Amino acid sequence: MRGSQKRKRQYFGRVRLDGVEFKVGDDVYLKRIDAGKEESDEEVEDCVVCRRAGGGTMIECDICLGGFHLKCLDPPLKAVPAGDWACLYCEEGEGRNKRKRPTRRSIKRHRTARERLLASELWAARIDRLWKEPDSSYWFEGPWYIIPEETAMGRQPHNGRREVFRTNHIDTNEMESILRHCYVMEPGAFQKASNEGDDVFFCEYEYDAQWHTFRRIANIDQNDLALSNDGNSEGDWSGDNTEEHEVKSSTYRKHKKQKKVIKEVPIRRKKYSIAAKHANSHSRIGGLEGLWAKSIPSDVRRSQTEFEKAKHALLLSSIPGSLPCRETERKEIRSFLDDAVAAGTQCLGRCLYISGVPGTGKTATVLEVLRGLHKRVEDGELQPYRFIEINGLRLISPEHTYTMIHEALTGEHIGWKKALQKLDKRFSQIVSSSSVDGRPCILLVDELDLLVTRNQSVLYNIFDWPTRAHSRLIVIGIANTIDLPERLLPRIASRMGLQRISFSPYTHHQLQEIIHSRLCGIQAFDKLSVEFASRKVAAVSGDARRALELCRRAVELAEQRLSDLSSTTIKGCRHAKGLGASGKLIGMADVEAAILEMFQAPHMQIMKQSSKQAKIFLLAILHEQNRTGMAETSFEKVAIAHSLLCSTNNEQCPNWDTLLAIGCRLGACRLLLSEQGSQHRLQKLQLNFPSEDVSFALKDNKEVPWLAKYLC
Amino acid sequence: MDLIDEAAAAEHRQQEDCEAAAVDAALALLRRRLLCGSAATLLLPNSQTNRRKLLEALTNTIIQGCSTSMLLIGPRGCGKSLVLDQVLEALQKSYPERVSVVRLNGLLHANDRCAMKEIAKQMCMEHALTFSKGASFEENLHFLTCVVRECARSHRTMIFVLDEFDLFAQRSKQSLLYNLLDLMQSSSSQAALIGVSSRLDADQLLEKRVRSRFSHCKLLFLPPSTDDIFSLYDRLFLLPVNQCSHWQKFSEDFKEKASVVLQQGSVKQLVDEFMSMEVSGQRCVDLLFRALCELNPQSGHISPAQFKVASANLTPQPKLEILTDVSVLELCLLVAMYRLEAREVESYNFNTVFKEYKRLEEHNTCDVYSKQCALRAFEHLLERELIVFKDSSGLGNMLEVRPIKLLVSRHEIDKGLEGNISCPTILRQWRTHETIK
Ligand SMILES: Nc1ncnc2c1ncn2[C@@H]1O[C@H](COP(=O)(O)OP(=O)(O)OP(=O)(O)O)[C@@H](O)[C@H]1O
Ligand SMILES: Nc1ncnc2c1ncn2[C@@H]1O[C@H](COP(=O)(O)OP(=O)(O)OP(=O)(O)O)[C@@H](O)[C@H]1O
Ligand SMILES: [Mg+2]
Ligand SMILES: [Mg+2]
Ligand SMILES: [Zn+2]
Ligand SMILES: [Zn+2]
Repeated sequence: MRGSQKRKRQYFGRVRLDGVEFKVGDDVYLKRIDAGKEESDEEVEDCVVCRRAGGGTMIECDICLGGFHLKCLDPPLKAVPAGDWACLYCEEGEGRNKRKRPTRRSIKRHRTARERLLASELWAARIDRLWKEPDSSYWFEGPWYIIPEETAMGRQPHNGRREVFRTNHIDTNEMESILRHCYVMEPGAFQKASNEGDDVFFCEYEYDAQWHTFRRIANIDQNDLALSNDGNSEGDWSGDNTEEHEVKSSTYRKHKKQKKVIKEVPIRRKKYSIAAKHANSHSRIGGLEGLWAKSIPSDVRRSQTEFEKAKHALLLSSIPGSLPCRETERKEIRSFLDDAVAAGTQCLGRCLYISGVPGTGKTATVLEVLRGLHKRVEDGELQPYRFIEINGLRLISPEHTYTMIHEALTGEHIGWKKALQKLDKRFSQIVSSSSVDGRPCILLVDELDLLVTRNQSVLYNIFDWPTRAHSRLIVIGIANTIDLPERLLPRIASRMGLQRISFSPYTHHQLQEIIHSRLCGIQAFDKLSVEFASRKVAAVSGDARRALELCRRAVELAEQRLSDLSSTTIKGCRHAKGLGASGKLIGMADVEAAILEMFQAPHMQIMKQSSKQAKIFLLAILHEQNRTGMAETSFEKVAIAHSLLCSTNNEQCPNWDTLLAIGCRLGACRLLLSEQGSQHRLQKLQLNFPSEDVSFALKDNKEVPWLAKYLC
Repeated sequence: MDLIDEAAAAEHRQQEDCEAAAVDAALALLRRRLLCGSAATLLLPNSQTNRRKLLEALTNTIIQGCSTSMLLIGPRGCGKSLVLDQVLEALQKSYPERVSVVRLNGLLHANDRCAMKEIAKQMCMEHALTFSKGASFEENLHFLTCVVRECARSHRTMIFVLDEFDLFAQRSKQSLLYNLLDLMQSSSSQAALIGVSSRLDADQLLEKRVRSRFSHCKLLFLPPSTDDIFSLYDRLFLLPVNQCSHWQKFSEDFKEKASVVLQQGSVKQLVDEFMSMEVSGQRCVDLLFRALCELNPQSGHISPAQFKVASANLTPQPKLEILTDVSVLELCLLVAMYRLEAREVESYNFNTVFKEYKRLEEHNTCDVYSKQCALRAFEHLLERELIVFKDSSGLGNMLEVRPIKLLVSRHEIDKGLEGNISCPTILRQWRTHETIK
């Protein structure tokens, strides 16, 4: 019965009501039925000082949200200042000469919708779905927005004045109850928004009305590209999203029926039970609501210092929208994919092999191109495709590839042998290109080298399927070695190595550009120090990760240096003044310290700090090594040399059991390479570091100065 | 008259009780300090700076959401686990509900599959979810990614602690490390990975793409210097004050006596010597703990003699003790083997050794044992690992003919012969006699 009713329901992407267009994804004010008499929805806000609306630019106080004419301020402002601004009343709120806020005139002032929302007289919701019921009433469904006062915690000091929370409680309402649009943005867009009017809010968190918990709303980039697979629309790809429906207002009025908008007070659903499902064994994981935060910590809303901004910008995870220095590669990949997707049924044997050392942006570039592609599909410019991502290191065995691909295509989890059969069959048969199964499929295989098996059958299959006439499979393989195809069987190499892109390690110019582009607008780094860091990394590996981490570490060190400095200056000395502005930036010294920390091996320090007898033991090995000319010696020989060294230099010689323990300890931290201690007298020992390092570390020792005379 | 006496006696007894209680309390306090991860102020200076750095880095992750990875390296017993535990505890205290810790140990989680399972299990425990034993590696990995993403969105930081990090790095594919480190650089996570290892070259073991993902931030835990150790001892003996007058008096007394003892040349030398063998935080704590165990509850104060006993206790000489304990026959066999080695006989077995032993009999008046008896003694030596089979080949063969190796050196045999009371003098002569010849 419900099914038949459903069939009659008509879903729309957008609907025009009384000349206003509402579409999926819009935010709207909702009239509250119980709110008593309707106030007219006067939109204009008047100036706090002159009580008049319009007539010149207005500015909003970030604290009391009052509007002010620029010209009504004292002193008047020429332009809207950047950043937060507080009005005179709020600024001096606590001061003695507190200004008297002009009292409200007694005449009834129209309140804006925003004020009414913040006073809980209006509601706001988002439109997730729009439809027409069989009785031609229009309905929508979506989550509510609530204001901080409506949460269990109440308003917290760090909540913004215009902050709202999106609940995870979804309700159905009649379109009738919509007052008009409002604009709920994510914080980043909110910061930039300037002239959207008064109905702007920002929403960073989702609120669970049942558990009274919060979590951040994931931004769209974070959702992986694979989500687009599910193909929410069957049939022809052109135009299902853009369905438009015009409603004559008169016809709509006829059906006007006052339906109650009921904002349900969240009733306790029956106790949340996850016992039915094992949390970790299903591909769709539920029950994670318990993880949400009980409250929004206040420290996340602090304003950041320049250094903190720099650290954030340098994080590996903050990948820029478009990677600098990879323009040519990106273009190549894009044209490859464009061609392949557009080729339709002619798509045959499209394989791309991408190679390059770690941290050269291979994965990041490919994902960026795919994001662009995804966007074009959403805009309807490109045919929809499917996307499967596989990573060789995320599989327990290479054969699991089949299972993963099959699961991604059909959602069914089966063993790899069966999956192989099914995939084989699927890629050889003809599927109508209009069905989801017939869409082109992009298969990204990251860390491809891990899939090499003894008979290389996995790789063979992966690269053979695209050559079948009806598979419409496009394969992109990523690995580190440039000559991987040559190392494989010729029949695989011939298929895989046709089209290749190699990502060369970054030069120091490129690294510099990458770092600068990330630090754009942040005053933290000395220009030279960035160059120094990138030169160092380029000389070692040309790995962007290394360069970014190095700079980030330098920021941390500088931060520490400055905080140490300020704590000493507080104690009385004032020499920090001399440092001036240059000391406030991250300089060469910080980068140098970071390089030292990152590239220096710790063995010298440990050798210098180790116990007296351990040093003599090392010397004894060195001695033995020089005497015999062989790197490897046995414990017995070393122990004899050790006792000899001790007795000639008036040291007390430890017994052999202790010596054995010393040797094993040195072996445990790999200063020595040693066999097991149970070998005792026959245990083989060898220095793990060049003898120069050892003799350098043992020289100039205050505790046992006589070591020096054996080291030249 | 009597009454007054009794009152005085009672008071005296009470005072004694009080003192005994004070001694007990002081000892309990010191033991707790030594055993259960002492307070931050009782760390050695190097560990203190490391503690600060680690705390800073993790606070940074919690507040600003910068994911990091870090490696704590240093010789065994230098306070890596101690500092890490303290830091995690401090974080959990100051940011309740905002940190979840997952602990793995390379020795316990022998392969990546079971390590991944353990991660999922600990996460399920922490968040009261139901754990499935049958989940595959991929499912657990997916679960892990989801939980970490969810945690990040709720301002929760995941901290992964990998103890014996080097063992994870020695696995063939390092897929656990790759996946965890890859998670650190994904924008939807707020997590930290902390490796703990006693191998200095732990980061060199990483495969190149795993190494590229690792931040290369290393905290080095160094063994302490002697001065550091003494200043630590001084701080350890500083008992906290409270109102009780007895306690007050006792604690001041205690500290004074202890500092006098620590200043003494003999104690200084003893500690120096003890630390010259091996030096680590663990060892200096151990020494003090042993010394406290020897403390005489009547006097209630530490004395140099206790340090002496403690140091002797902590310098075990297993081989030497075994050698001074073995029977005469076993000694004879060892000496016989030694003589064979001295004559550079390449390979020998029980039969050869027994033949050599027979030559001793020719010389002298010593008791004569049968071959059966000697074989029993021989087996005994094998059990005590004073000798071992040269190789595993010929496993099926008779015991008598399998080649063996001697694991004790001349030096040790000498020491053993000296120390062994039942050793006949002729044996000592015999050892030197024909070797020279
Ligand atoms: N051109 C670039 N501009 C900015 N950031 C970059 C650039 N190239 C690389 N990065 C940074 O380096 C990180 C690593 O890049 P990516 O994951 O693409 O490496 P990869 O080449 O796939 O390495 P691997 O072979 O180890 O998988 C990215 O997350 C990004 O932060
Ligand atoms: N710096 C230190 N300050 C105070 N006590 C220390 C210090 N270092 C070690 N100790 C003592 O030694 C004990 C063992 O140290 P810990 O467990 O941290 O060693 P570890 O470095 O983790 O060694 P392993 O590599 O064997 O795990 C501690 O419980 C503590 O009592
Ligand atoms: Mg990659
Ligand atoms: Mg430990
Ligand atoms: Zn005005
Ligand atoms: Zn104001």
